[in-house]
Amino acid sequence: MLIATLVVGAIGAVCALILGISLVTFAVKMDAREKEVVEMLPGANCGACGFAGCAALAHEITVNPEAPMACPAVKEDTIKAIAALLERDMGSLEPAVACVRCKGGPQEAPSRYEYVGPRDCRSAQLVAGGPKVCQYGCLGMGSCVTVCLFDAMAMGEDGLPHVNIDTCTGCGKCVEACPRGIIALVPKTGTYCVSCISEDAPKDMKKICSVGCIKCGICADVCPFEAITAEKGKAALIDQDRCRKCGLCTGVCPVSVITGRTVPEKARIIPGACIGCGICEQVCPTEAVSGRAKEPYSVDPGTCIGCGLCLAKCPADAIERYNA
Amino acid sequence: MSPFKGGVHPPEEKALVRDRAIEDFPLGARYSVPVQQHLGAPARAIVKAGDAVRKGQALSEPQGYVSVPVHAPTSGTVKGVAKVVHPVTGLLSPGVIIEADGKDEWAEGLPLRRDPFAMDKGELLEAIRGAGIVGMGGATFPTHVKLNPPEGKTIGTLIINGVECEPYLSSDHRLMVEEPERVLKGIQVAMRVLGLDRAVLAIEANKPDAIRVMREKAPGEITVSPLSVKYPQGSEKQLIKALTGREVPSGGLPMDVGTVVQNCGTCAAIWDACSAGVPLIERITSVTGRGVRNPKNIRVRVGTLLRDVIDFCGGLDGAAKIIFGGPMMGIAQFTQDIPVMKGTSGILVLTEKDADIGGYSPCISCGRCVEACPMGLIPSTLSRLGERDLWQAARKSGLTDCMECGCCTYVCPARRPIVHFIRHLKALSRSAGSKQAKGA
Amino acid sequence: MKDVFVSSSPHIHSPEDIPWIMRQVVYALMPGALVGVYFFGLPALSVIAVSMISCVAVEALWQKGMRTKVQVGDWSAALTGLLLAMNLPAGCPWWMVAIGSAVAIVFGKQVYGGIGSNPFNPALVARVFLLISFPVAMTTWPRPRPFFEQAADAVTGATPLGALKTAIFEHHTITAAPRLDLMDPFLGNIGGSLGEISALAIILGGLYLIIRRIITWHTPVAFLGTVAVFTGILWKINPDLYAPPAFHLVTGGLMLGAFFMATDYVTTPISLKGKAVFGIGCGLITVIIRIWGGYPEGVAFSILIMNALVPLINRATQPRRFGAST
Repeated sequence: MLIATLVVGAIGAVCALILGISLVTFAVKMDAREKEVVEMLPGANCGACGFAGCAALAHEITVNPEAPMACPAVKEDTIKAIAALLERDMGSLEPAVACVRCKGGPQEAPSRYEYVGPRDCRSAQLVAGGPKVCQYGCLGMGSCVTVCLFDAMAMGEDGLPHVNIDTCTGCGKCVEACPRGIIALVPKTGTYCVSCISEDAPKDMKKICSVGCIKCGICADVCPFEAITAEKGKAALIDQDRCRKCGLCTGVCPVSVITGRTVPEKARIIPGACIGCGICEQVCPTEAVSGRAKEPYSVDPGTCIGCGLCLAKCPADAIERYNA
Repeated sequence: MSPFKGGVHPPEEKALVRDRAIEDFPLGARYSVPVQQHLGAPARAIVKAGDAVRKGQALSEPQGYVSVPVHAPTSGTVKGVAKVVHPVTGLLSPGVIIEADGKDEWAEGLPLRRDPFAMDKGELLEAIRGAGIVGMGGATFPTHVKLNPPEGKTIGTLIINGVECEPYLSSDHRLMVEEPERVLKGIQVAMRVLGLDRAVLAIEANKPDAIRVMREKAPGEITVSPLSVKYPQGSEKQLIKALTGREVPSGGLPMDVGTVVQNCGTCAAIWDACSAGVPLIERITSVTGRGVRNPKNIRVRVGTLLRDVIDFCGGLDGAAKIIFGGPMMGIAQFTQDIPVMKGTSGILVLTEKDADIGGYSPCISCGRCVEACPMGLIPSTLSRLGERDLWQAARKSGLTDCMECGCCTYVCPARRPIVHFIRHLKALSRSAGSKQAKGA
Repeated sequence: MKDVFVSSSPHIHSPEDIPWIMRQVVYALMPGALVGVYFFGLPALSVIAVSMISCVAVEALWQKGMRTKVQVGDWSAALTGLLLAMNLPAGCPWWMVAIGSAVAIVFGKQVYGGIGSNPFNPALVARVFLLISFPVAMTTWPRPRPFFEQAADAVTGATPLGALKTAIFEHHTITAAPRLDLMDPFLGNIGGSLGEISALAIILGGLYLIIRRIITWHTPVAFLGTVAVFTGILWKINPDLYAPPAFHLVTGGLMLGAFFMATDYVTTPISLKGKAVFGIGCGLITVIIRIWGGYPEGVAFSILIMNALVPLINRATQPRRFGAST
């Protein structure tokens, strides 16, 4: 009994010793902060940052003071926390989310044949170009949903993928996975996009799909910021850098193919500070500002679209935005 | 002793059309000629709506060396260059729509009368290219490129592929039996282009009449070589292995082992082009399968609509799948509004029973695909990688060596679409490659 | 044209699908199973029935519970049940068989993801589980009696390999073991698991599988050959201590293992070279266990151990690629 105890004890001691030695000998030197950064990153290893995974990015931003915060998936306060930890400025990223640019489910744009094979859009695309009657439209087999690491996409009852913009991190995996380039990243505020990328002529498209962009160009005409291009033969396209999320385009689109969420902000003029120059009235795209020269101007909240143009132009900083 | 490793023996099913003489398909009213009917750089249409064209007139202009023109199948008026469904990609691509005038008049000066054996190599290659000749076995690679190996490659053997290993099809078979002179003369022209004094014509043993006819007619410098039946013997690499024992290195071409392989139908087209200046505007194709009422072998103009061909053969009967090409490598079609192409070696209509449509289940590692793969790959592994999009790992497992012959998928007891998974991996690998090229 | 199907080539398939293959193996096991029933009577039949039914039932329940497609129609669960039964003593109580079936399907197969994903042969996993859990019941071997002379009180005895082990253990020589007419194990007139007793019946089934191209000869030939050569060498060295190769070939579960268990698709190497390596490995381990190990029989353990090595064997025995430079 005693011998047995001793033997087992000795084996344990030897093992502990070997483990201890190897721990010291094979230890990997690492900045302690790097580990903390890894903890803060999402841990999905999605690769959207361009590095091999979250640990690789953490290493880069820890050792290289110039490296930007390349992860599109982290929240604003996390970036702040990492910046505080590393004692440097991390900049900030405009959060983006995915937008599915097709509204033609099996009801609106049916299949042209019975596809037999793996339920995967990229696979289906290889067989006679995909079963969808529109060769620009969503194949509806959910490759984007499969690759999403954040469970932010799901196939809806309409046969199309839907993005949950609260969980979508804008990593871009789905953009890559879609064989037809239907998914695009759009700013999380607003999320305006034209939900059609068809290059078919309107009359051809109408034959096969009831909800596509008819290339009428009304949206481009109405956009106060020249953010929409309606090239001949192509569906309208929103330039996200120029878009001010005013939502005018969604209202005028005759086929309701433009989607987005209007920013619930309005402008108002601070009476005491207004110098009555009238620049705001001139720049306002919706004629929401009115007043007489040299007197304080006022904004009609009903017509104001919260675009912020007047804010940018006001020489007296007399305009502010508020949540309506 | 097996001529090459792997391979399968699917039911031959050639009896449906094997003994039916070639019928001339009557002149139609409307033709649709896709501009892209070859593998390589695209060609550009040079006609516009309203143009009058005559039979054999070029409709497009090749762009680059690996590119060939297409020609008007008959005389008539161009209705326009429209976007038509391409039978290979299934996508819309430009095609010349021609309304026939019924006169079927040849273009100026055609057909010529000239002696190809008095022409030099350059003239012959130009004639072949100008006639728009591509590999008619189905791969549609421009023939003039294959017949003009680059400096430093010595060609010792010309192999003529009369194997026709795809089940059901008999177009090459009928051509060899009924028009042996065109094939043999074309072989001699190809030999002249390559500067060779001998050629081997390979025919599988299931075509004894073709072997007999060819043996009777062939001049001394053309050896007729019967081969035991095994799919995919008609694949270039396997055919070279079976005839010469040499293996084309991985990633290489037949010329790397001193051989050039030409399909026997291509040789007949070479003869027409070089002796008469007649471009490739018609071909022999087998319309077969149990889903079509009267299976036939037909001589049909390129650009004829499938709908017309099906009508000519008595219409469909229980069709579940319509395939351009054979059952192993052919392309399934979803519409009858597509044209017969230069590479359409067969039009196969399968019934639901023959097509065996259904789902698939997980791989059970039975190893049948490994035994069947003529390229020595492990298709089961590739298919599993395909399910997980792991194209990098697949490249290490020989992804690019796969020629998609379909043996693995044919034998798979789990009915896994292995070839489909491999195509998926190749597409992922390609798009990643082009992304990399853009980024660099 | 909406009614046509479009898919990637090829468009035709060999008619030999998984259910067909599984059924062929079941047919091939029939001679062995019938010999078992002949010599062990109705208890053997009930073990077979309970095992097959419970395997199918457990698989169906599991797949229902997991909300995956119920795929018992592929016959693989039925085959696992039959193989398990063939590896059990005929006197096994029904509940033990049922437990074994559940272990085979759940822990041998489904926890890894179902058909195609299990690293170990499910029937052997269950057999070893039962052997360790119920050692007495699993080594109580009813004496074989022709079917029409079955008695109500089954007499039990040792298997030839068990007798051999006892003789060596107690007398340090095999000559102390009762003499065995090799025709008995060949025809099945010995104690043992209900499906392993007749070498002849198993070989007949195995040949059927080879002729129908369900299995290749590589694994069984390598397995049996290795056992024959290895035991042959030992026997030449000391015939008093080591039994002759013919004895080893026809006794125990060797034939059953070589033809039916070491040729299981999922858990064995994929290439022909790999199959041969697998067979040799199984042969070596079997002999080592039989001669020097604590158990009289080592076939099940050898196959399970080699199962674990399959990924390595697969990696080392890749086929030569066409056009490869070497």
